[in-house]
Amino acid sequence: MNIVVCIKQVPDQPTIRIDSERMTLIREGVESTINPLDRVALEAGLHLRGRAGGQVTVLSMGPPQSEESLREALAAGADRAILVTDPAFAGSDTLATSHVLARAISRLRPFPDLLLCGMKTIDSDTGHVGPQIAEELGLPQVCGVNEISLEGDSLVVERLSDGFLDTVEVTLPALISVNRDLCPVRSLALGSLETAFSQGNIARWGREELGLSEEEVGPKGSATRVQRLLTPASTRKGELVNGSPRLLVDRLIGTLEALGLLDEEDG
Amino acid sequence: MDKSGLLHGVWVFGDYRNYFQNRVTLQLIAKGRELAETLRTRVTVLLLGEAVHQYAMEYIAHGADIVMVAEHPDLRCYQVESYTNVVARWAEAFKPDILLGGATSFGREFFPRLAKRLKTGLSADCVRLEVDPDTGLLLQTTPAFGGNLLAEVVSSHRRPQMATIHPYVFKELPHKASAVGRVVYPEIEVKANTQVRVLRSRRQQARGGNLEDAQIVIVGGRGLGSREQFKLLFELAELLAGEVGATRPVVRAGWADEERLLGQTGKTVKPKLLISIGTSGALQYTTGINGAETIIAVNRDAHAPIFKMADLGLVGESSAVLPLLLETLRKRI
Amino acid sequence: MRFEPTMKQAAIRRTVREFAESRLADAAVEMDRTARFPWDLAREMAELQYFGLEIPAEYGGAGLDAVSSAMVVEEISRANAAMGLCICVHNGVSAYPIYLFGTSEQHRRFLPLLSSGEKIGTFCLTEPNAGSDIASIESTASRRGDEYVLNGNKVFVTNGGISGINLILARVQGAERKGGLTVFIVESERKGLDKGPPEDLMGMRGNPVCPVSLNDCCVPRRNVLGQEGEGMKVALSSLNGGRIGIGAQAVGIAQASLDVSLTYAGQRYQFGKRLVEIETIQKFLADMATRIEGARLLIYRACHLKDRGLDYASESAMAKLYASEVAVEASRRAVQIHGGYGYTKAYPVERYYRDAKVCEIYEGTSEIQRMVIARSLLREIPGSKGSRSEKGVQGHQMPGRQRA
Repeated sequence: MNIVVCIKQVPDQPTIRIDSERMTLIREGVESTINPLDRVALEAGLHLRGRAGGQVTVLSMGPPQSEESLREALAAGADRAILVTDPAFAGSDTLATSHVLARAISRLRPFPDLLLCGMKTIDSDTGHVGPQIAEELGLPQVCGVNEISLEGDSLVVERLSDGFLDTVEVTLPALISVNRDLCPVRSLALGSLETAFSQGNIARWGREELGLSEEEVGPKGSATRVQRLLTPASTRKGELVNGSPRLLVDRLIGTLEALGLLDEEDG
Repeated sequence: MDKSGLLHGVWVFGDYRNYFQNRVTLQLIAKGRELAETLRTRVTVLLLGEAVHQYAMEYIAHGADIVMVAEHPDLRCYQVESYTNVVARWAEAFKPDILLGGATSFGREFFPRLAKRLKTGLSADCVRLEVDPDTGLLLQTTPAFGGNLLAEVVSSHRRPQMATIHPYVFKELPHKASAVGRVVYPEIEVKANTQVRVLRSRRQQARGGNLEDAQIVIVGGRGLGSREQFKLLFELAELLAGEVGATRPVVRAGWADEERLLGQTGKTVKPKLLISIGTSGALQYTTGINGAETIIAVNRDAHAPIFKMADLGLVGESSAVLPLLLETLRKRI
Repeated sequence: MRFEPTMKQAAIRRTVREFAESRLADAAVEMDRTARFPWDLAREMAELQYFGLEIPAEYGGAGLDAVSSAMVVEEISRANAAMGLCICVHNGVSAYPIYLFGTSEQHRRFLPLLSSGEKIGTFCLTEPNAGSDIASIESTASRRGDEYVLNGNKVFVTNGGISGINLILARVQGAERKGGLTVFIVESERKGLDKGPPEDLMGMRGNPVCPVSLNDCCVPRRNVLGQEGEGMKVALSSLNGGRIGIGAQAVGIAQASLDVSLTYAGQRYQFGKRLVEIETIQKFLADMATRIEGARLLIYRACHLKDRGLDYASESAMAKLYASEVAVEASRRAVQIHGGYGYTKAYPVERYYRDAKVCEIYEGTSEIQRMVIARSLLREIPGSKGSRSEKGVQGHQMPGRQRA
């Protein structure tokens, strides 16, 4: 089975620095890691390879330092790693990003049977890229999966969606985005890290290799633009109350009532 | 000349599953009316399914001008690809200015595909929508980094301007039986989707609670003192129809499952109300709760950092407050 | 001269830190309380190749460089010093010496077992009457045909209670003082190797430190590590590497002390402000941070020399000496910053304080380290015993001089 896992390198901590010109994150100097849900997707891919045989390719679009995450993916057991990188890609929204990734995937030989990715990233939080890649490649999608099993030529997956637990059969090739609960993530073995960093092979594909024009990528290829970044306004009232437990409880209940969460009482 | 009266407008996707708990469509109709007024246009709700006429009436009663209906057996279940086909065709034909949807699980899976089909921009899980008075563009404020940062996004050239919106950000308009609206049935072409087949679908609460969808979240920290005290939170959650969350020290101590963990390495929640008891307010935790509308905190230390992000801070011993709170609520509910 | 970790080293550090925080930190409390060695965790770590840090992949090891290996020990020790000790002794003074001095046959026989964690390693050096003065050990080895019969008592053997492979220093009978010292590789199941009950320790609890006695223990010739009579060289060389490990361990404990102190001082209010805003506390924290940085850099310097195959005896002594003193001071300060709470078991700092102390004692006391460093300095002075001018020693590495 040919599995492709899309991963993204994301900042490791909430110490965010913003490039106010480009309206994007400054990535240099901040510790980075594989987006946690992508790591789950990778683990799932490795499991499936274990059961069905085949190959796991990891793909990432990002600045050059995303190489580190791809090497970690190799250390985890991926067979092949491809970094899709080009200065022209910077500032791409999800529309442009999915276009670049879809193009890269369409260049893979053989074409994958299964595309896996995390349901969303901890920085952008949108969850758009997976479905948008699926749309461009004309593949069926199932998002938020927490259980996968192989049944012949198709996949049977389970996911919780708006309070419904769906069991879905999807024909391959398809795109599946995964949820945290899908499988536990194993720590990386030290020797594998050593090998992945000293010997691992990372292919690099840029705009020209992918046959993309400048208008298709970056800000020009994007439909949305971040106009400005704000920190959530400190609209918290911050009222502090001291007193007996009785007093505190009464205040709390008063707030519940004010929010309409309790029926008004006469007693 | 717009003979049909269907061109342009503010469109809202009718997400009618779980109609009584899931009010987001009604909330978006209300906001849609506001936007429509500014843009001098109408609010149209999209309704896809089988035998969905009753919802059309509801939507009109809650403020929709038009309801565009697609009824077909193959649309009975929510399905991303077939819904994309129908709505994309309509959008191409009637060219809405704005297309809004609730940030439900389905909405967040369906809208990106639709936006890609229409090659237009989409923002996710917005917490604010305004029309820019100068440009007439829809300003979409979306959370990033689990809500620790907000991004104001615009779609300057592409149409429709699409956004999914977080539930409970807007308030629905009250039901008005006398409201008037049109129900239309534009042409559709529905192909059954053979690639994705729902074998079974049953109502289910998520293991560890449906934390991310919960409107009321009660979080317990180490300050509760013991596993037994933490267990009391479940009763409180039940009384308030909420869910229970936990901080990392609590999960470490084995008082709660990893699934209840909130924060940097756990879940991010944006409920209407969050009550945080016995938590000091470590950053790794608070990044997961920043987006809550109202935060009430209980802690014995008046200087605990959690109070900096609480709307109401109650300084007292959790072990005294919690049982008393439960006792009082039990009598009421 | 590079001061930044490579991408690989950064990834290794992050991986180990995540593992240690999620799997080892909580176990540390339990280990300290029960003094029980956590086999399940050891097995998990063995699978992730923590037991073959610097052993090449062909023998099942991770093949890391010395700096990466030191980072691993540091991060483990930061979460759980007792496990850090297990790893650093097993790797530093047991597996690595076999790699350095062993024959190919010994490599094949022992390294895979050690790298996989199937057998845990020790180095049995100290005796009741021979602590710092290694040369005066009394354990004997009598030649008898194709084997040696070992007799003696070793004490304070780290990992002793769980070991499978033991390096034992003994004196071959009939040889003159230094000439007879020999290191033997002795499998725990050999008849005549007996282990006593584990010590009830002040800190590093959970590591089964115990006495090992040899009673007519027969060991074949092919179990001699290095040559007969080379025992001192093997022992000292092993200790050179071992010191780096202990230093890394000490830095881990010191860093943990600083981290929790920062958290505590950032949240605790007294006199209307947070502790971090009080000057005295700021001074404590600044000193801790500075000294930890210094200790770390000394360790990396020693590692760097080791990786290059250069002499690093003095540098590793400096690293161990300084790091262990920093750890004791930092953990002591941490208890102080936490005040009364720091004295209770509700906070980890009292454990850090108890764990840190032994770093100044084992694998060469601080006094011994100072002797090693002084000797190295003295060699530069003309007319001193063993000075360069006296022996015409070329290219001896000295602190502060140009290095390769």
